[in-house]
Amino acid sequence: MEHAGYRKVPGAYLYTVLHEVPDPLARVLLIGPFASERHNSYLPWVRWARYLTSKRIEVLRYDYRGIGESTGTFEDMTFTHWNEDVELLADWLKSRSPDVPLVLHGLEVGGLLAGSAFHNGIGRALLLWSPPATANQALRSTLLRWVGLEHLFKPSEDVKPAAEYIRQLEQGAFVEVEGYQWSSSLWRDSFGVKLPPSMIDDCTAASAYDRPVRIVKLDKRAAPLVKGGFVGYDEAKDFSWLFAPNAEWIAAVPRRVQGEGDGPSD
Amino acid sequence: MDQAIEGRELITLAGQGVIVRGTFHRPRTSGSGSEPGASTQNRIGIVFLNSLSLPRAATGDSAVYWAESFADCGYPSFRLDLPGLGDTAGDIPLELLNFINAGGYASITSVKIDELVERFDLSGVVLAGHCAGAVSAIYAAAACPGKCKGLVLLDPYFHVPQAIRPKVRQGLSDWALKSRIGGAVSNIYDRVRDALLILRGNALPRNANFGLLSRWKEVASTGLPILFLKAPARKAQGTKPRAGEFDYLRYVLGLAGRNSKVVVELIEGTDHSFANCLGRAAVRQHTERWLTSYFPLVEEVAVTALRSEADNSKNYDQCHVDCLH
Repeated sequence: MEHAGYRKVPGAYLYTVLHEVPDPLARVLLIGPFASERHNSYLPWVRWARYLTSKRIEVLRYDYRGIGESTGTFEDMTFTHWNEDVELLADWLKSRSPDVPLVLHGLEVGGLLAGSAFHNGIGRALLLWSPPATANQALRSTLLRWVGLEHLFKPSEDVKPAAEYIRQLEQGAFVEVEGYQWSSSLWRDSFGVKLPPSMIDDCTAASAYDRPVRIVKLDKRAAPLVKGGFVGYDEAKDFSWLFAPNAEWIAAVPRRVQGEGDGPSD
Repeated sequence: MDQAIEGRELITLAGQGVIVRGTFHRPRTSGSGSEPGASTQNRIGIVFLNSLSLPRAATGDSAVYWAESFADCGYPSFRLDLPGLGDTAGDIPLELLNFINAGGYASITSVKIDELVERFDLSGVVLAGHCAGAVSAIYAAAACPGKCKGLVLLDPYFHVPQAIRPKVRQGLSDWALKSRIGGAVSNIYDRVRDALLILRGNALPRNANFGLLSRWKEVASTGLPILFLKAPARKAQGTKPRAGEFDYLRYVLGLAGRNSKVVVELIEGTDHSFANCLGRAAVRQHTERWLTSYFPLVEEVAVTALRSEADNSKNYDQCHVDCLH
């Protein structure tokens, strides 16, 4: 059963979809990619949620404050708001039955938010797909792609180089990227949003936190979960090579956290 | 967890065993001040369809912006995720683009329009679609002539594009876009294509979407009000296509015939997504004007519409919009 609804957070409503299963093995909070990447990766992200449900894993997915179906004004939002979203939803999901382990799973910038929450003690396990080194790296990559797309619609002489937009952001101006107004504070703050140092790899992280951690770098085969691929074609392709091992890893979390110790994952 | 918040409500349309999920933006009325939730009875609903594989919020959440704006003017607005898209379950075909170009979503859209009209007691709907969503809207309009009262089409296309371009061709395009020599070669290529087009007597290209053109003729020639919004294209002047490309706009206006009510607007300063500030504002303003002209609201909401129109005019001057008619 999929239950869509709105949850009140300070100043906005978050759009959430609970993929409910009876007697779940684990619960997963899906923390998706940033802003325009949400739209590109939406279909495989939803398919991933449904795949997990078919493996008796309950899922909560949502839209960041100010993005997609959630309310709020994007340009007023900061990474602090988005961190808060993760904490509020993780609390709620955990409260459904505290004995069932809660797994945080982040994709791209969502990986950084998940990593930060996990670092603060939230969640019994952490799964990261392609977290960038910093949020700025993700923003920069989105900006570069957008400038590339501009070439398709404008005469070359009218297309500004990415460096020009970065200069504008650094000077305090707003820059509109794929329909979202990026503020200079968003750009500035993005440099400070990074993975905790101990999350350099699975083993180091699992040892440091004494909880299971899995970090997966996705390549272009995973498009459009990551940038690349063909719109309208890649959404329907077979993702079982990615979904199956990751779902197995999540399904094994209860065993890992209960009895077998949690040393290095995988 | 709430199903409804101020101004909007999550809906599921479950008729004929197919569950479609969407968002309903409640119309406002002047009678209830700024309170949303006015009756939808006998009003025209605006229904947004997915653009290719995008979820119902669309690029930059532009569809949310438009739906809220039209609801503020008194038009109940709905954003739907068609089967397999967004939050609606279902398998999408591997060749999604071909499926849409063949009218694959027409039948289910028509069923869901019937359901919306009945459930919300609407007098009919205006279908709004962008790019591939516009293609679905044309097919659906032909499939439910009684309920679909109008179309808002954002950059529709009338040919069958290739989902995946061959790598060599893609590489050449990239080179033409980014290098001076490539640009010069591209200009020569355009002139050659232009000459060939003239030699062929401006005949309809082989990759024209004949099925879609036939549905277009069916709906447009009946006098169905249609708002056709165009974004500027690279190497094109106004609404004219790039040199060497077939002029589909001119062709479909001809197909529509003398009784048609097709209004074409070029929106400057935007791109194909219409999602930037200028694009979304201009789409909003053109559509609101068009709605008030073809689907005027009853008295109780007219004041709201006028107020909204007045608000629009403040921003309108900032947009460079050319009206062809």
